[in-house]
Amino acid sequence: MSLLTDLSIAVAAGKRPDTIRLTQELLAGGTSPQDVVEQGLVPGMAVVGEQFRRNEIFVPEMLVAARAMKEALKLLEPLLAQAGIKPKYTVVIGTVQGDLHDIGKNLVSMMWKGANFAVVDLGTNVSAERYLAAAREHNAHLVGLSALLTTTMPAMKETVRLLKAANLPNVKIMVGGAPITQAFADEIGADGYSADAGSAVSTALRLMGEAA
Amino acid sequence: MNARTALLRQELARRPLLCDGATGTQLQLLGLAPGACGELWAVDHPERLQQVHQAYLSAGADLLTTNTFGGTAGVLGPHGAGGRVRELNAAAARLARRIAGERAWVLGDVGPFGGMLEPLGESLPDDVAAAFREQITALLEGGADAILVETMSDPAEAVLAVAAAKACGAALVFVTFTFQQSPRGYRTMLGTSAAEALAAVLAAGADVVGANCGTALSLADYERLTAELVAAAHGHPVIVQPNAGSPKLVDGKICYDESAAQFAEAAPRFLAAGARIVGGCCGSTPAHIAAMAKLVRG
Repeated sequence: MSLLTDLSIAVAAGKRPDTIRLTQELLAGGTSPQDVVEQGLVPGMAVVGEQFRRNEIFVPEMLVAARAMKEALKLLEPLLAQAGIKPKYTVVIGTVQGDLHDIGKNLVSMMWKGANFAVVDLGTNVSAERYLAAAREHNAHLVGLSALLTTTMPAMKETVRLLKAANLPNVKIMVGGAPITQAFADEIGADGYSADAGSAVSTALRLMGEAA
Repeated sequence: MNARTALLRQELARRPLLCDGATGTQLQLLGLAPGACGELWAVDHPERLQQVHQAYLSAGADLLTTNTFGGTAGVLGPHGAGGRVRELNAAAARLARRIAGERAWVLGDVGPFGGMLEPLGESLPDDVAAAFREQITALLEGGADAILVETMSDPAEAVLAVAAAKACGAALVFVTFTFQQSPRGYRTMLGTSAAEALAAVLAAGADVVGANCGTALSLADYERLTAELVAAAHGHPVIVQPNAGSPKLVDGKICYDESAAQFAEAAPRFLAAGARIVGGCCGSTPAHIAAMAKLVRG
């Protein structure tokens, strides 16, 4: 088994010390930081997402894996910045206006970081205008809207309306949250819907034109 | 234990009881803005909150839940009301108590504190326990007959809330967890099974245990879940409060897809599976509870 595979397994299992050690070994052995991310961390987090989607693992396991990934990224990010390597995709995420819940949004944010997206997290209670401004400012490929309260579902609809009306080229809109369904996503004109943080990466990649 | 709480204990042993349904949905019908802090209505619009409690009482509910789901300092804080825990919770409990009179009991409602306990999150158990004690003290001061710790995912958090309720002198403590499906059966968001969740809170001194809300759980799921809960409750009364289906947006308004009649028909099945208290969560209305009352009481 290669060290990259070992790294994927260590990240997926949330083994922080192993993740750090393997990242260091790979870098010392001449593997590029980009390959460590894309062939080590990203596949590991993809396994986590898939297991979460199938309800085989739950929030604790996902958080532990994300934490291990974060430690590895601390080592890798300065090197990637030095080499001028940027993530391929930039995504904006937030919880819609009127909604202060962030657990689901944070899980999706984590998984997107784990897929090596540049994530702009706007936090909670985000107005339609702020989503739009951030999508423009960061040239986002994707905007993710989260809602936990059924009462803020209309705010999600309004945000989708405003983003669509702005006619930004190549910006896809994805929605999710406990009360949100595919039918609701279709009705309000969102481009995609993810039932859980585990499917958030594959849905995002599909929307941005990559074969999942 | 005061006489009213003692009577509630007796009644629980004697007959199935009916709990009320959703409060938030009702407040929105009365003008609560999306995302606004409903807990403030105990002080700002007591007459409207009173109307909701009254409707559930008239529908036949034996148990009225205070409008204090987000009544801990951490949840009220972002609404600028973090310093009003005592005022809001005591006012909400007083109001429910006044409506309930001698016809019903008041459950002082305690929802999740809004964060995650360490090591998953950054909240320290002592801080969370203190926040629960602050809320529960006020609920009891306002006249709550029992404490309902609800919509729990993390057994450690639920245990802190139960311990807080006991420390504050609550004579009767209810706890409900929120489940979803998994290949390994019904689990909370944190992966806890019904058996694990109930064992944790029963060891902490909970008296009544069960489930509420839930992600994508049908009424048939709830029937199976009820059987699991009853098996895990070791003789303690079990309470179930399912959602009235899934939310849908119709003409800009949120609707739930289970009619009152469909919803109520499930209640006798929950009782047959061993539940002692039935009620409703998100999307349920006084009509749902009234329909349940007819079937449960005959």
